[in-house]
Amino acid sequence: MADTMGHSATATRNTSVAIGFCLLAIAPQIFEFIWSIGTIFGWGAGRGPATVLISHATALVAGAPAALIGAASGDTKKASSDVLLALIYSYPILVVAIVTLFMTIRSAQDYVGGVILMALALFALWASSDLQGMRGFSFGAGTAPRMFGGLLVALSAGIALTGLLTDGPAMAHYAWRGPMFVMAAIVFFALAIRPLGVVVSAFVSFMIAATGSHETRWLEAAIVGACLTLGCAILFPYVLGLPMPMFPRFLVQ
Amino acid sequence: MDIFANLAHGFAVALSPINLLMCLIGALVGTLVGVLPGIGTIATVAMLLPITFGLPPVGALIMLAGIYYGAQYGGSTTSILVNIPGEATSVVTAIDGHQMAKQGRAGPALAIAAIGSFFAGCVATVLIAVLGAPLTKLALAFGPAEYFSLMVLGLIFAVVLAKGSVLKAIAMIVFGLLLSMVGSDIETGASRMAFNIPELADGLGFATVAMGVFGFAEIIRNLDAGAEMNRDLVQQKITGLMPTKKDLKDSAPAILRGTALGSILGILPGGGAVIASFAAYTLEKKLAKNPSRFGRGAIEGVAAPESANNAAAQTSFIPLLTLGIPPNAVMALMVGAMTIHGIVPGPQVMQKQPDLVWGMIASMWIGNLMLIIINLPLVGIWVRLLRVPYRLMFPSIVIFCAIGIYSVNNAPVDVILAGVFGLVGYWLIKHDFEPAPLLLGMVLGPLMEENLRRALLISRGDWSVFLTRPLSAVLLAIAAFLLTLTLLPMLRAKRDEVFTESEN
Repeated sequence: MADTMGHSATATRNTSVAIGFCLLAIAPQIFEFIWSIGTIFGWGAGRGPATVLISHATALVAGAPAALIGAASGDTKKASSDVLLALIYSYPILVVAIVTLFMTIRSAQDYVGGVILMALALFALWASSDLQGMRGFSFGAGTAPRMFGGLLVALSAGIALTGLLTDGPAMAHYAWRGPMFVMAAIVFFALAIRPLGVVVSAFVSFMIAATGSHETRWLEAAIVGACLTLGCAILFPYVLGLPMPMFPRFLVQ
Repeated sequence: MDIFANLAHGFAVALSPINLLMCLIGALVGTLVGVLPGIGTIATVAMLLPITFGLPPVGALIMLAGIYYGAQYGGSTTSILVNIPGEATSVVTAIDGHQMAKQGRAGPALAIAAIGSFFAGCVATVLIAVLGAPLTKLALAFGPAEYFSLMVLGLIFAVVLAKGSVLKAIAMIVFGLLLSMVGSDIETGASRMAFNIPELADGLGFATVAMGVFGFAEIIRNLDAGAEMNRDLVQQKITGLMPTKKDLKDSAPAILRGTALGSILGILPGGGAVIASFAAYTLEKKLAKNPSRFGRGAIEGVAAPESANNAAAQTSFIPLLTLGIPPNAVMALMVGAMTIHGIVPGPQVMQKQPDLVWGMIASMWIGNLMLIIINLPLVGIWVRLLRVPYRLMFPSIVIFCAIGIYSVNNAPVDVILAGVFGLVGYWLIKHDFEPAPLLLGMVLGPLMEENLRRALLISRGDWSVFLTRPLSAVLLAIAAFLLTLTLLPMLRAKRDEVFTESEN
C-alpha cells in the first residue's frame, strides 16, 4: 500500500471516471454493434448492425422510459430484451455515473472496482431475466442466479461505498504491453491451431508472447521457441496420444 | 484392525511399478513447479489434467496428488535460496529461510524444511487413514440441508482467513457462484446466461477459469511488476546439509505444532496449505520466548510453516474423499480428474473404489519418502533451473497453458475464454480482489445450488429447515460466529497485522 493518493482526487479525475462509467453503461450495446458488423461479411449469425443500432437506441431513449411508466401504471406487458437491458443494466450504471460527478472518491481502487463488479452483477441479472422464477416452493432455473445476482449487487455497492467513505489506495497502474501481447498470443493460438497445426501456431505464439517483455533478445527467444515447439510437438500428440493437427492443412493435403 | 488391513491393501496398490512411476513423476513435476516461481500448483494441475486421460484412474490421481504435495516441497527451496516464494504456500518460509541462507546455513534450512514436510506428510497420511472411515459414516447422516450448511461454513471460513477486506472476499465468492451458474440448469435443462453460444452450454470449464485467473493473470502481472524480478540468488556453494543437534532440538516442537495446525486447517473446507503456513508462522512467533529472533533466521520460522503446508495439502483430501466436497481449488481439479475417469467423489468412493482411495493414501507416504530422498541431492539442479530468466520462461508457460487447455476439449474457444479470464484476473489483482475465493465459489456453486434446491423441495419451501435440523443449525451457528468475530473491529485490526507483517 505504498501510494495512498485516493483522497486527493481532483475534479477532472472525477469527470473521467464518470465518463468511463457512462461507456460501461452502454458497453454491451456497443459490443453487440461491433459484433453485428461481422454479419455484413457473412460471419456469424444475428442481427445486422443497422437493426442493432436502431433497436438499442429506441430501447434506451424511448422504450425503457415507456416501460417504466407502464409498470408504474400497472401495465404488465412483457418488455423486449433490449428494453430490459436498458432498464436493468444501463440505467442503474448511468445513475451511478451521474452520482460519481458529485462525490469525492477517497479510494479509487475500491470505488471503481465496486462499480465494475456491480455492472457485472446487473448484467447477470439481465442475462437471467428470461429464465423461469419460483414455481410454488420449487426453484426455477432463474431463481438462484437472480438471488446471487441481487446479493452481488448489494455487496459491490457496499465495496463502492467503502471507496467513498474510507481512505485507500488510488487506481493501480495498468500496463498495456504485457497484457496485449500475451492476449494476442493466446488469441492467435486459438485461431491458428485448427488450420495451421501445433508446429506453426506454437512457434508464432511463442514469439508474439515474447514481444510482451522489453527484455526479450530475439535470437535467444527464437531458439528457445523452436526447442519448445519441437518438445510440444513430440509430447502432446505422440507421447500423450492427444489428437492434434501437426502441420498446416494446405501442406498436408 | 481395519485400518491396517486397508493400508496394507493400499501399499500393495501403490507399490505396483506403474503406480510407483506415476508417484515419482508427480513428485518430480510438483517439485519443479514449486521451485519455479510464476507457475502455481493450480495452473499446473489444470494443465496436466488432459495428460492423465490415457492413464488408469489410480495412476492418474496418484500423479496429480504427487504434484500437489511435491509443489509444497519445491516452494521452500526457492524461498530459502532466492527469497522469492516459488509457491504461495512458501511466502512465510522466505522470511526466515532466506536469512538463514544468507548466514551460510542454507543447508540446514533446506534439510529442516524437508524433514518437517516429511514428518507432517507421515502424520497426515495416518490421519487420512484413521479419519476416513468414521467421517464417511458421518456423511451418511448428512441431508441436503446439512451439505448446504457445511458449504456455507466452508465459504465463510475462506472469507475469515482470506487477507484483506471481508466484503471483497464475500463478493468474490458470490461472483464465483454466479459464474458457476453459466450453462445448462441441472434440473430443468434451461440454458442460463449462455447467450446462445454453444460452447457455453456446458458451463464454464473450471480448468479454463483456473488457468486464466491463476496462470495467465499471474504472467501478465509479473510482466508489469518491474520487469525482471530481483533474484538475489545465494551464490555460495551449499555445504553441510545436516542440521546440528541444536537445530533439531529447536525445530522439533515447531514441527509438531505446525503439523497439528496444518492438519486441522486442511480438513476444514475453505482452508488449505496457504492459510496453514501463515497461521503456523504466526503461532510460532506468538509462542516464542524471544520473538525478535524471527525474521533474522530463526529455524522455527522455517520448520513450522513448511510442516503446516504439507500437512494441510494432504489432509485436504479428507473432505473430498469422505463428503465429496472439494475444500480448495486444487481439490476441485481433482474432482474433475475423478469425473473424467467416471468416479463420483463422495461417501461411496471409499467402499466402491478401495483401490483408488487406499492406493492414493499409501502413495502419499511413498511420495513423501521419495521427495526427501530425491530433493536434497537435487538441490543443485533446482538452483540451476532458477537461473533461467523470466523473459524465456513466460512465453513457454503461455504456450504450454494454451496447448493444455486446447487439449481438454479440443476447443479453441476454451483457449480464448481462458485468455479473457486472464484479463479478468489481472483486473482483480489491480483492484485488490483475491481470486482464490472466486474459484472456491465456482467450485462449490453447483453443489450448493443443488443441495439448496433439494433441501427446500423436501421441506416444501420452508426455509427454517436449515435451523431446525440440529447438525445444520450447529454448522450455521459456527459460520455466523466466525463471521461476527471477523467483523469485530478489534479483531480485524489484529488480523490485518497478522497477514501484513509477512508481506513486506
